[in-house]
Amino acid sequence: MECKFVPSVCSYCGVGCGVLFKVVDGKLTGTLPLKTHPVNEGRLCVKGWNIHDFVNSYLRLKSPLIRAFGRFIKTDWEEAIKITSDRLKDIVRQHGPDSVGVLVSAKMSNEENYLAQKFARAVIGTNNVDHCARL
Amino acid sequence: MKDQVKKWLESGTVDIFLGMKMVDGHPLPHAFTLGNISDLEELVPGTVRYPLETFAAELAAENPDARIGLAARECTQRALNVLSLWNQAPTDRIETIKLNCCPSPLKEHAACSYLDPPEAGLFKKHFGIDNAADPEAVARFEPRERFSRWMYEFQKCIKCYGCRNICPVCFCEDCSLEHKDLIGTGQLPPEAPIFHLVRAVHMAGRCIDCGLCEEACPADIPLRLLYRKVNAVVDDLFDYRAGEGEQPPPFNIIGERPSLEPKPMENGSACPQR
Repeated sequence: MECKFVPSVCSYCGVGCGVLFKVVDGKLTGTLPLKTHPVNEGRLCVKGWNIHDFVNSYLRLKSPLIRAFGRFIKTDWEEAIKITSDRLKDIVRQHGPDSVGVLVSAKMSNEENYLAQKFARAVIGTNNVDHCARL
Repeated sequence: MKDQVKKWLESGTVDIFLGMKMVDGHPLPHAFTLGNISDLEELVPGTVRYPLETFAAELAAENPDARIGLAARECTQRALNVLSLWNQAPTDRIETIKLNCCPSPLKEHAACSYLDPPEAGLFKKHFGIDNAADPEAVARFEPRERFSRWMYEFQKCIKCYGCRNICPVCFCEDCSLEHKDLIGTGQLPPEAPIFHLVRAVHMAGRCIDCGLCEEACPADIPLRLLYRKVNAVVDDLFDYRAGEGEQPPPFNIIGERPSLEPKPMENGSACPQR
């Protein structure tokens, strides 16, 4: 019998409420609001209260899938990234860089968002960068 | 308290002790065992409250041989009493160390997150219900005004189920609040006031007045006040106060007869006038 309480940050929206995970024998079994967190002060919304459900969901996507022949086929990250970059290069070559848009997330860190816009502007060559909080 | 817990763990009185530990400035619940006995240095009473009794009841249910220790506030002890009466917690396997909490003239240095509640704003005081008000003060409003004030509060609900999720005495597998035939789905606020009244009725004779629901409510609905009111009705009718004594709760309908008789009638009326 092993029981742990792990403080973390809710993975849903950009607010970033503090959550406390209850881990029993290595399995996430419950979510509670972190009472002393300055952002949510012990409150959560219905999504935050149920994080343990999606972590343990059997429907959860655990590896990248590639759509081929009308079906999703499981693959590894290396191949997925390779295929994505090949397709992006094809699209940019055929239709120009402005045919690509990069949508980033409120849930990512500033550094990740910076990298994403750098990727859009310097690698692809477009200013089509936007953010889920503005969608 | 640290010495007592250490003694308990070393002698095998308890296999696991649930208390609060300071982690990076946050008091968090922690399971102390023989394996991490050095953590006991950081055991604190903690001013914030988590439903430790719920964790203890769940651990006890999953591990039928485990003995569990608990840092228990007065509300924790009342909750354990209710859980035991409803056969949800084996109190013979749960040891408690009592903490200094609910204040009284005898003990001033009480530690509880509820001692310093946020003050209600002007708008809430004018159109809603002050969370710090007492049930009698709320009962003095005209019925129409009282209704509109309660509806103002209920319509702020975002249906997060936080009140139910944090509640130490909510243990049902199937919850009426999630039953689609009882409460409509897909709209916000949820059907008011039925959503809140269903929960209030289920809290009658069960609520131990810990106030965790109100602390967890993002909409600041005066839930504690509401459940105090229903508990007052149970007290009037059955002379029953949840969390005290060994009497089974009045609404325990398992068995041939209701477990508690109503109080003798007053002035020929079964229900006291209010």
